[in-house]
Amino acid sequence: MSNRSQLISTGKPFQFDRERDAEFERLSTRYPTRESLILPALWLIQEQEGWICQEALAYAADRIGTFASKLYEAVTFYTMFHLHPMGRNHICVCRTLSCWLLGKQEIVDFLKNEIGITPGQISEDGRFSLEEVECLGHCGTAPVVQVNGEFHENMDAGKLKELLATLP
Amino acid sequence: MEVKILSAKFHIDNANTLAVAISHGAYSTLDKLFAMQPAEVIEEVKKSGLRGRGGAGFPAGMKWGFLPKNTGKPVYLAVNSDESEPATFKDRYILVKDPHMLIEGIIICSYAIDCHDAYIYIRGEYTTQVKILQAAIDEAYAAGYLGASIAGRDFKLDVTIHRGAGAYICGEETALLESIEGQKGQPRSKPPFPAVAGLYGCPTIINNVQTIASLPFIITNGADAYKAHGTEKSPGTHLFGISGHVEKPGMYELPLGLPILEVIDKMAGGVWKGRKLKGIIPGGSSTPVLLPEEAKDVTLDYESMAAHKTMFGSGGIVVLDETVDIVQLVENLISFYHHESCGQCTPCREGLGWMLKIVQKILRGEGVIEDVLLLRELCDNIEMKTVCVLSAACTMPVRSYLDKFRQEFLAYVPTASPAAQEKQE
Amino acid sequence: MADKIKLFVNGVEVEVEAGKNLIDAIGAVGIEIPHFCYHPALGSDGNCRMCLVGIEDGRPPLVPACKTPAQAGMKVLLDAAHIKKIQHDVMELELINHPIDCPICDQAGECKLQDFYMSYDKQPSRMTVAQVKKGKKLDYGCGIVHDQERCVLCARCVRFCRQITKTGELGIVNRSDAAQVEFFPGRPINNRYAQNIVDLCPVGAMTSADFRFKQRVWFLKRAKGICHGCAKGCNITIEHNREKYQEDRIYRFLPRLNPQVNGYFICDKGRYSYHKENEGRLTVARQGSQVRNQADALAACNQEISRSPKIAMILSPNCSLEEMVAVKSLAEKLGATLSGFSDGYISAGDGDGYLIQDDKSANRAGLGILGINSNRAVFEKDLGEAQLLVNFNNDLTRSYTEPELRALLKDTKMILAASHDDGLAAMAAIAIPIAAASEYSGSLVNCDNILQSFTKAVSKNHDPVDIGTLAAQLGSPLQTRAEQFSELRKYLSVLKNFEADTLPAEGLKLTDNEATHVTA
Repeated sequence: MSNRSQLISTGKPFQFDRERDAEFERLSTRYPTRESLILPALWLIQEQEGWICQEALAYAADRIGTFASKLYEAVTFYTMFHLHPMGRNHICVCRTLSCWLLGKQEIVDFLKNEIGITPGQISEDGRFSLEEVECLGHCGTAPVVQVNGEFHENMDAGKLKELLATLP
Repeated sequence: MEVKILSAKFHIDNANTLAVAISHGAYSTLDKLFAMQPAEVIEEVKKSGLRGRGGAGFPAGMKWGFLPKNTGKPVYLAVNSDESEPATFKDRYILVKDPHMLIEGIIICSYAIDCHDAYIYIRGEYTTQVKILQAAIDEAYAAGYLGASIAGRDFKLDVTIHRGAGAYICGEETALLESIEGQKGQPRSKPPFPAVAGLYGCPTIINNVQTIASLPFIITNGADAYKAHGTEKSPGTHLFGISGHVEKPGMYELPLGLPILEVIDKMAGGVWKGRKLKGIIPGGSSTPVLLPEEAKDVTLDYESMAAHKTMFGSGGIVVLDETVDIVQLVENLISFYHHESCGQCTPCREGLGWMLKIVQKILRGEGVIEDVLLLRELCDNIEMKTVCVLSAACTMPVRSYLDKFRQEFLAYVPTASPAAQEKQE
Repeated sequence: MADKIKLFVNGVEVEVEAGKNLIDAIGAVGIEIPHFCYHPALGSDGNCRMCLVGIEDGRPPLVPACKTPAQAGMKVLLDAAHIKKIQHDVMELELINHPIDCPICDQAGECKLQDFYMSYDKQPSRMTVAQVKKGKKLDYGCGIVHDQERCVLCARCVRFCRQITKTGELGIVNRSDAAQVEFFPGRPINNRYAQNIVDLCPVGAMTSADFRFKQRVWFLKRAKGICHGCAKGCNITIEHNREKYQEDRIYRFLPRLNPQVNGYFICDKGRYSYHKENEGRLTVARQGSQVRNQADALAACNQEISRSPKIAMILSPNCSLEEMVAVKSLAEKLGATLSGFSDGYISAGDGDGYLIQDDKSANRAGLGILGINSNRAVFEKDLGEAQLLVNFNNDLTRSYTEPELRALLKDTKMILAASHDDGLAAMAAIAIPIAAASEYSGSLVNCDNILQSFTKAVSKNHDPVDIGTLAAQLGSPLQTRAEQFSELRKYLSVLKNFEADTLPAEGLKLTDNEATHVTA
């Protein structure tokens, strides 16, 4: 993996919105230790903001009652957590075994030509971000692309082009 | 060939909803279950010969039997739905097509092991799947199948989904526990085994989704009905995923013990585009590759795979046609395991990155024969020197490619020193 | 004593302590099992894989020694070919991404990577591809400088901050070979024991801003000392060196294991207290503003003593027992009052319940044992009646402001035996240089009634005497250290079993009966 240690500070305080706060409190009754809330808290932050900033990590650490270093470890270990803002549409292309065998590179190349971004990049207009990810568990319908969390199976450049057109 | 035990309701529309599931028999086992003693449930599962479907194939009933008695500590169940071994895509179908079968299985297991808090660890990438599963759990709570008194019985059970967030290693059972505890998913040294000291230091059973989902059938129909399928030592059915260069890739529920080539031909339509078969990855990316001639008498069960120096694994079969560049494939594989190494143990943390750079050097045409030999040697140096088997999951298949497709690697090496050539001989 | 068990190492039977892991059990009889991540104070982690050993007939046959309890009859394989190969292979993997910058690395000479390379690897590098690049010379707080490329990710630093100081500043972020030790932005290392991280780090990844590049460690001489920074009496190793044409200087204090006192660690304040041994020293005797040689200064002292009808004496709570008893004898002989008043050495609320104590003196318990009164009012009354104060290195500026002190000494001359040339020395009629704590031998009783001895580490060019010797020169009946020690036996009967400098290494825990011999 690449180095994910760079956190971004927004300079603004973070807190859960009412809905996430309630969910956090609900989950806190489900675990015998507070640290079990680390991953759920990170997910709630990402759902709320789209990514996870330094202030949000500090907030979650204090809210959970643990060391900020533990949140820092978790957020950099688990690669689905975004440490900077992503495009409005986040595209994940599976790069592993079956998808690789069935032409994931064609999809990555298409995206480079079509919207000019390579894995790890965000388009200039902020509309798209692209990430190559490890096996998404859809090998029987490879290659698979996950856009904003939705799976799109048996993809090829043509189908992806149609899909992109429907995205905001 | 297909036997639909786990996938019996997969074709039914909306079987993920409680009403439809119940109309097709969901939760009908509970009357029988609560009439049994927990020890009887364990005994029945032992008798069924059900083996853990996560990859290792350890007998489930026996695992439950390892739980120490009367520790004064709670017992936890962790359902492993991390499913991230490349080429594996079976548990996902259970989560979305028949989640109530899984919940019913969780109730059965929890009752058997006296667990009142079960966690389903689901990989973070399963975004749509987790919604369906959570909806099913919510429905089960609302209908009294989960919560303070299961189906009116004096048995409390909470089921909580814990989402991973992009870490293959969390499929390793102790890494999974670490992850539930809020830590990085770094495997624990064993002993102690989770059955003795697992989640929060308490006795814990960790079973794969498919293992747990097999329980309603076993309890409803009895161990013998389950054993009627499969082989003597590998009884029952398995959700096999077939992907790669076949005409009809997909998920097929089959009894264990069928010939692998026949399954590829009959179920998946054989190698696509009329091409020749180059190799078969039999059970997920970490299992050593089989050459076509080796695959001739391989059957889909734990014993046959072991006899052919490979593994049943997760039942994820990948078919490679004649066009596959094995060196590139190895690069893809090492890249995966390097990316997913938790970074804990020196050999895996440092070694997989080294292996990746060596194979990339070879692919660039900058390699020398010593690099091929070093790559092969590193497989031995790294394997089994670590807390968990992630490094072995990389080195075992890589070794098989190096040994079985050596010429392909050598073809990338333009200059081979005479000394090294000699060593090579 | 712990139970002993017998097991086999490489086929040879050895007797080891039961209840320990293989590294400690076998290590105690002199057989090294190489390891990076295990540390007895931090427990086993199991990440480095350097301590893998074979267990003959065992299941599994290969185990991490740090996680394996020694068991009777166990057959441990260390020199088998497959174990040597693992040690070699792990070393190779530890080093592939290491910068191998020993010539400019401060850890050189005390580096486990160097040691183990020589013992277990000794092969040329086979690394022909690009190394992983990481951060260099990073300020991690509390004077700790981090080099991520030298790090072996043993997590000792992380575990120290989580388990020992419970401040949790550090974590290992990322995974795979991108893993690196980091602190959360804006929350660097911030605890009073941080420098122990440098000691714990088995490689050159954590170095001390205070020490780095000052000395090569192989030039340093080592002596066993006791930290005088507070009443805990932490055991230290004094590392010093006299460079050509220079003064003998201390370059660092390191913690020295004493399970009964400080375990493996010391606080940073105590660690840095070595600076005071080097700097600001009084090196020549003075009478008023005139420099005097030692003999003349002593003569002047004796003159003052002989013509003063009433003499008050005060000594420092840092004095050794030997010094205290020598001064006490001198005071008794001269009919002088003697005080151990030193309230200013107490910093109320500073102690942390771990090592750091409120009391910043090393031997306050000694005052009690010898019956030396420490009451402020008594001291001030005695001082008020005396024409001469003989002060044995008691830093009165800790207890009084300067105007208070000037008022107190208005009609009283002060002879000051001082290790440091400070504001107080400026007020003395006669100032005599004496040894600092690292420059003489003696014994102390700490806050837990543990009697410990320390030995002379440093020889200064001006060759200062200790207070015991000075007291003898001023006429104390106890003329030698042996006589002082002998006198101490009257107060501490347990000492009849010992001679000076022969106290047990871990110190002697005094019973309440022995330690509360207060007659004042």
